[in-house]
Amino acid sequence: MAKKKSKEDYYLASQWTLMARKLKKHKLARVSFLILAILYIAALFADFLAPYGLEEFDGLYKNTAPTNIYSVYEGENIGPYVLKITKSINKTDFTVTIGEDLSEYYKIKFFVHGTPYKILGFIPCDLHLFGVGEGSKGGTGAKIFLFGADSLGRDIFSRVLLGARISLTIPFASAIISFFLGILIGSISGYFGGVTDIIIQRIIEVIGAVPQIPLWMALSAAIPPGISTIKMYFYMTLILSFINWTGMARVVRGKFLSLKNEDYVMAARISGVSTWKIIWKHLVPGFMSYLIVSMTLGIPGSIVGETSMSYLGLGIKSPATSWGVLLQEASSVTDIASHPHKLIPIIFVTITVLAYNFLGDGLRDAADPYK
Amino acid sequence: MEKDNILEVKGLHKRFTSKNVTVRAVTDVSFSVKEGETIGIVGESGCGKTTLGRCIVRAYGASEGEVFYRTKDGEELDFLKADKKKMKDIRKDIQMIFQDPYSSLDPRMTVLDIIKEPLRANYPNMSKSEMDQRAKDMAAKVGLNPTYLMRYPHAFSGGQRQRIGIARALVINPRIIVCDEAVSALDVSIQAQVINLLKDLQKEFKLTYIFISHDLSVVEHISDKVGVMYLGRLVEYGSTEDIFAHPKHPYTEALMSAVPVADPTYRRERIPLKGEIPNPANPPSGCYFHTRCRYCTEKCSLETPEYREVEPGHFVACSRCGEIELTGFDYSLLNKAD
Amino acid sequence: MEKDNIIEVKDLHVDIKMLEGLLTPVRGVNFEIKKGETLGLVGESGCGKSITCKAILGINEKKCVPHGEIMFRTTDDEEIDLLSLNPRGKEIRDIRGKQISMIFQEPMVAFSPMYTIGNQINECTLLHITKDKKKAKEITLEVMRKVGIANVEKRYKQYPHEFSGGMLQRALIAMALVCYPKLLIADEPTTALDVTIQAQILELMKELQKEFNMAILFITHDLGVVANMCDRVAVMYLGRIVETGDAKTIYANPQHPYTRGLMGSVHKIGGRKDERLFSIEGTVPLAMNLPKACGFYDRCDARIEGLCDKAEPELVEIEPGHKIACFNCQNPACIAHREAAMEQIKEDEAKAAAEAEENAKGGKKRGKR
Repeated sequence: MAKKKSKEDYYLASQWTLMARKLKKHKLARVSFLILAILYIAALFADFLAPYGLEEFDGLYKNTAPTNIYSVYEGENIGPYVLKITKSINKTDFTVTIGEDLSEYYKIKFFVHGTPYKILGFIPCDLHLFGVGEGSKGGTGAKIFLFGADSLGRDIFSRVLLGARISLTIPFASAIISFFLGILIGSISGYFGGVTDIIIQRIIEVIGAVPQIPLWMALSAAIPPGISTIKMYFYMTLILSFINWTGMARVVRGKFLSLKNEDYVMAARISGVSTWKIIWKHLVPGFMSYLIVSMTLGIPGSIVGETSMSYLGLGIKSPATSWGVLLQEASSVTDIASHPHKLIPIIFVTITVLAYNFLGDGLRDAADPYK
Repeated sequence: MEKDNILEVKGLHKRFTSKNVTVRAVTDVSFSVKEGETIGIVGESGCGKTTLGRCIVRAYGASEGEVFYRTKDGEELDFLKADKKKMKDIRKDIQMIFQDPYSSLDPRMTVLDIIKEPLRANYPNMSKSEMDQRAKDMAAKVGLNPTYLMRYPHAFSGGQRQRIGIARALVINPRIIVCDEAVSALDVSIQAQVINLLKDLQKEFKLTYIFISHDLSVVEHISDKVGVMYLGRLVEYGSTEDIFAHPKHPYTEALMSAVPVADPTYRRERIPLKGEIPNPANPPSGCYFHTRCRYCTEKCSLETPEYREVEPGHFVACSRCGEIELTGFDYSLLNKAD
Repeated sequence: MEKDNIIEVKDLHVDIKMLEGLLTPVRGVNFEIKKGETLGLVGESGCGKSITCKAILGINEKKCVPHGEIMFRTTDDEEIDLLSLNPRGKEIRDIRGKQISMIFQEPMVAFSPMYTIGNQINECTLLHITKDKKKAKEITLEVMRKVGIANVEKRYKQYPHEFSGGMLQRALIAMALVCYPKLLIADEPTTALDVTIQAQILELMKELQKEFNMAILFITHDLGVVANMCDRVAVMYLGRIVETGDAKTIYANPQHPYTRGLMGSVHKIGGRKDERLFSIEGTVPLAMNLPKACGFYDRCDARIEGLCDKAEPELVEIEPGHKIACFNCQNPACIAHREAAMEQIKEDEAKAAAEAEENAKGGKKRGKR
């Protein structure tokens, strides 16, 4: 009975169902999708998940390594807690020693009230997932810096989460813009052919021939200085889309050219179906899956692009933050040598890029269920 | 146009040009079709029969020539030059069935949608339920189970897909159907099913068929008249019996003698055809066939022969017609077994 | 093995293990070919004819597992079972291309586009005949002339894309024949060619067969070609041979319902036009998890319920040289076969009933506990 049912399912399965089935079998793609989902959800709730805001800093904690979390204090298991750090300067050789103050402990609390933020930009709230409150003896000033602190004493963990909002969404937004630009220009090129096609193809090639990062640098040099973060975000997205649409336009054009000559397209024309309807009903679904693959595989490039540009100081600037900005703050070799925890944002960039690549691979394998 | 004719093809040309090369796919083809007839168009690769079919249906734009069509209301017009408004009316009268059952159906649409599509395009005011009903009725007529219509094409076999293609062509009640190698991609026993179906539908809906095929046995079975094409030209046209048993063009003679007959006892002299089919981009001078013709004279290499009616209803393009004796199938020998 | 036979296929089975079950594209094929004769293997798609002939040469995919015997008489007059040879071993490679050759349906893809035609045909010569390059080239040119390729010196240096379909098929035949094989397997060699070219190639094959005294196993679905080329015919359906005999008998008097259906489906030129073509109802089933029954049962117009759906008919000789595998035939040999099968069914049913009773009793006992 089960066999019969699955056969009927197969018969009734649309292109998307067949694709989804094939994709599910690709383990790496499934895992990647999960990872990306976690990252995006974390970015969505970044304000809540991060214990500290963007502007918070503590001079005492400059460049400190990730905070140790203990659970046993003087022989007793009292649950997770942290210790406040102490700094002492050796008067003879001026070296700084960082230690922990064992006199009191600061328990890690969940759902604490901390730095206020605005949900969706206008609903005020100050709830954070976790944080550190008063010490066991009433002291203050302990911090829980899960990824350590940067050179100004700001929490890298919070900044990674808050930076994720930009680093994860700019590439995605630019991919969407490229998607629509690619469909539009690719369709025109593929459908009309002739001179239009030739011109568009040459433009695509010229754009592709220019080295990416210098091109982005040149474009961002054109951005007026001192503008707001939101405007910067907007400009960055556009700049990144500027190159990416070419890849998608090519995919669309290629598919257009090959699908135009399929017998079923000719049958539709002979039946009297209008040109617009043919494009919409027959050609677009034909290339949609390939385009989604192309889009997914283009996102890693944008991620690295945004990160690179912000690292070079051309993109997002303080006080806003993205993973690239965080890496910029770790840009001296001696700095990294002494404080390797400042490179943690790289792990996030790498994981995201890999996840998108594997997901794209899985999508590509599933893209043509009819082959 | 003559009284009984529903279609008159006159001087049809189709050229494909790419870079500096011009391929003459169809050169100066003319023939007439009466309503209810089946015309078989045969020929080997490069003869242009598929291109001819597509020009008639206006899937390709012809380079030159006219296709006169008599509409339901008796109006006579050139199908190829009808304007957009007129085409809206008469587009549905001439439809096509394709060869490849796998590429002629959009794999991303359900079968019901595929069959409904021509209705949507031609009857925009028809209600959804009426369209559904018409599609289901047509599917049942071609032998498909209407409950399976929500499936996608990949659920069906080659023969069933071909039936879907037939339903799609018929759902808007055409009068002429161009069958472009409609059964060539099917197994022998499935071919028989589909051929029987086409014949039944022809009777029921009073259809006229232009049946393009390279399979001469199928063509002989189904056609009233046959046209033989070589390198883009129509070299002979006449009734099926004339073409098969009394051919008047050397190519037709060679073609008929090359067809293997499913009867081990039927022996006849094979007319050898030397050489290969010439390149359509660079056809021979004069009569296209002269390089391989065993009756060729010098005149043949210089002059293009005139396509003329040598007997009532029998047209040939050969300058030596009448001087040479040609042999075709010996029907008396073949019928003895029956 | 009989003295005149060059090859005898005995009870050939080929199984393919798949996720969904066991696919059995060949389920007991028996035929033999005499020296110098042409046997036509006729069947539609899905009947297993390609897998059968690939099994003879051991070139099936790894997942195909053949069983049975394929006895071949080598040029040294030895009789060996081809299936017992290692498919990658030296022995079978010695036979492939040299004593048994094969030509395929699409000559366009049978040649590599990277090398000249001459080079590729010569590869065969160098492998099997002589290692002397000069001599090998001469032999290759000679065989190219024999198959009717004009300007052989020029053609030798040309690439496959410069040849037409018919020429390529000739080149393929040249490559197959350079070693004067005793058996040529031709898998739909003319299906992709135009009618007039097909006629040329078939004539060429007949001439060469006479000259080389070579047997041909000709696989096709085209009944016209079979009538033209073959001395004997074997009709295949769903992995089994259902009828064999000489061509004249099979065409004049087909006995098996499938053969009759097939013959009726094809319009014979000159035949009556207003007649409907006979069409066999239904479609070929998938050769997976097939029950013990005649493969043609679902589509047969002469089926006997209770018999044909419970037993599988074997090939039985109804007249000298004419065998069919069918229960529903008036020939005494067939009748005897039918009765034997009915007996066997009765026995099996009785056995099954007895077993079922035993199990029921045993079950009751267990239930009680």
